[in-house]
Amino acid sequence: MTIATPVPDSSDTTPVGPVARPSRAAYWLIAPGAIWMTLFLVVPLGMMVYVSFWSQTTFKIEPILTTKSWMAFFSSDTYLSALWTTIRIWLLVLLTTFVVGYPTALFVGLFVKNKTLATALLVLCVIPFWTSFLIRVLAWRPMLGKEGAINIILQAFHITREPIEALLFTELSVIIGMTQIYCVFMVGPIAFMLGRIDPNVIEAARDLGASFWRIFRTIILPLSMPGVIVGGIFVSVMVLGEFATAAALSGRKVNMLGNIIVTQVGSLKWAFAAVVGVILTILMGLVVAGFLRIVDLKREL
Amino acid sequence: MTDVLRIENLGKSYGSNAALRGVTLAVADNEYVSLLGPSGSGKTVLLRLIAGFEQPDMGRILFDGKDIASVPAHERGIGFVFQNFALFPHLSVYDNISFGLVNRVNAPVTDGSALRSRVMEMVELVGLIGLEDRGVHQISGGQRQRVALARTLVSQPRIVLLDEPLGALDANLRTRMRGEIRRIRSQLGVTFLHVTGSETEALAMGDRIVVLDNGSVGQIDTPDTVYNSPVSPNVARYLNCYNLFSGTIGGGTFSDGAHSFPLSGTPKPNASPAYAIRQDLITVRPSNSPLASGEAGFAATYLASEYTGAAFMYFFRAVDGHIVEVENHLSHRAPQTLDVNATYQLVWKADDALVYG
Repeated sequence: MTIATPVPDSSDTTPVGPVARPSRAAYWLIAPGAIWMTLFLVVPLGMMVYVSFWSQTTFKIEPILTTKSWMAFFSSDTYLSALWTTIRIWLLVLLTTFVVGYPTALFVGLFVKNKTLATALLVLCVIPFWTSFLIRVLAWRPMLGKEGAINIILQAFHITREPIEALLFTELSVIIGMTQIYCVFMVGPIAFMLGRIDPNVIEAARDLGASFWRIFRTIILPLSMPGVIVGGIFVSVMVLGEFATAAALSGRKVNMLGNIIVTQVGSLKWAFAAVVGVILTILMGLVVAGFLRIVDLKREL
Repeated sequence: MTDVLRIENLGKSYGSNAALRGVTLAVADNEYVSLLGPSGSGKTVLLRLIAGFEQPDMGRILFDGKDIASVPAHERGIGFVFQNFALFPHLSVYDNISFGLVNRVNAPVTDGSALRSRVMEMVELVGLIGLEDRGVHQISGGQRQRVALARTLVSQPRIVLLDEPLGALDANLRTRMRGEIRRIRSQLGVTFLHVTGSETEALAMGDRIVVLDNGSVGQIDTPDTVYNSPVSPNVARYLNCYNLFSGTIGGGTFSDGAHSFPLSGTPKPNASPAYAIRQDLITVRPSNSPLASGEAGFAATYLASEYTGAAFMYFFRAVDGHIVEVENHLSHRAPQTLDVNATYQLVWKADDALVYG
């Protein structure tokens, strides 16, 4: 006797197609990508890990394996505080881009019914990208400085008597700058997901008696979560690897892991720079993996 | 029977485009009314006005005798079933059905066991037992239709508005769901107002049929009255089973220029004269056969046939190019062998025809 396994009634469930076996041609299709990634991602990553164990003296670096650079990183307050600064700034920017970006996306993706207008508004968000990254960062200096636009306006309207000095060359200015630069990467994916919500679904929820806030919490927010996750991954990966905004808007007072790498490479301390690089890569990997655990993107997109 | 819903002279325009021009109708308690109309007849607009998704330009909607113009959609006690179901895609069958009870502003159900018993009662009524934990993407189209119905019915509305509820289903499922929806309705005693563009669906489902014609009511009556004696040529046209001729009436005959048919009885009043004969009341005879007294007919050229299983549809062309359809139901007559491009005599009893003028 055989044990009968329950056979799902095919008429009752959405049929799942058979998994296609990749043909020989399919392997050729992925070959260029695979070779490219191997040469320029896998090999350099391996190289970075390898170099982080090399022996470094003031004038030369030798392939003699040692953990000295790693010990140096974890026994130095400067470097550990840079790690903490990086995590703190990343979390704060993630929060501010979400707080600024979600309402914007809600407006563009859900409240603007005209699709052409919605697209035009999204293009408007991208316009700052027509100038180079560095100029966008530096443009914040005349805005936030002691004699900058914001201070002039605040004093002109007699809101403040003295100029606020904390606006520039502080962690605050770094966060303001990064929020402006990376916000659009949060808006885009969220607006895309919100635009895909069937308006009838929201109307149905309203007809069943739910308030707007309830509908937002139970329907709109969960349905836009994949967009939040994708936006969060974009912003996280870019902010964690940041060094230029931190350098330009903090007057080199705020040091992120990226800034440490720049300084160490500048003084030819390759082994130590590699240690920081490995730590940064692991951190990004953990963050992305964490995000992907929240939402099953393969199913949702 | 008491009227639960009265609609008086309801009108709605979009710019210069009048979607509804003064619709008046009454729906009784515990009744199934189907609303038939071609696309653009304003049937969906009427439904959205009753639901409260849009505001009328003129007229009144009375629910239990009270004007509900100022009552927002969710406080009207009127349920709405969307054409594409509009289920919450991220929620399970159970959570879809319980959504209204849990999340409504007025008197939400907070007691877990009371909620569960109400939802499960509805799950059982619509026949979804065992599927309540599935996601709505893991069930079939017919089951999704049941979830959409249950989600609305669980709040115990007095009236449920259904906007082409079977439109998203395939043909065999559609026929099965017709009976299911009727059973669920009669079990609950709720009034259903069912909008459809399909005349067979309207005839099969409604206790009464409202035929919408260009933004106003063409006819309100029982299915067999509407089917057998449509009050106007337009209503006859929407039923999709009449051959219509337009022309003039004079001297006891109807003439469309190419043919004239004897009249029997007085024509139903209508702005322009028209003559209607049902497709299944026409017989096909050899071209030389004479007309008996009390018969009407004309000669036409046979074009093609279509087999529908229980019947054959024959297509003929009259001398003025008018296409005439004849339905030969196989339970009445054996299929006929007709030669393409040959001429035949199409004959019917003059009493069977409907004349307007």
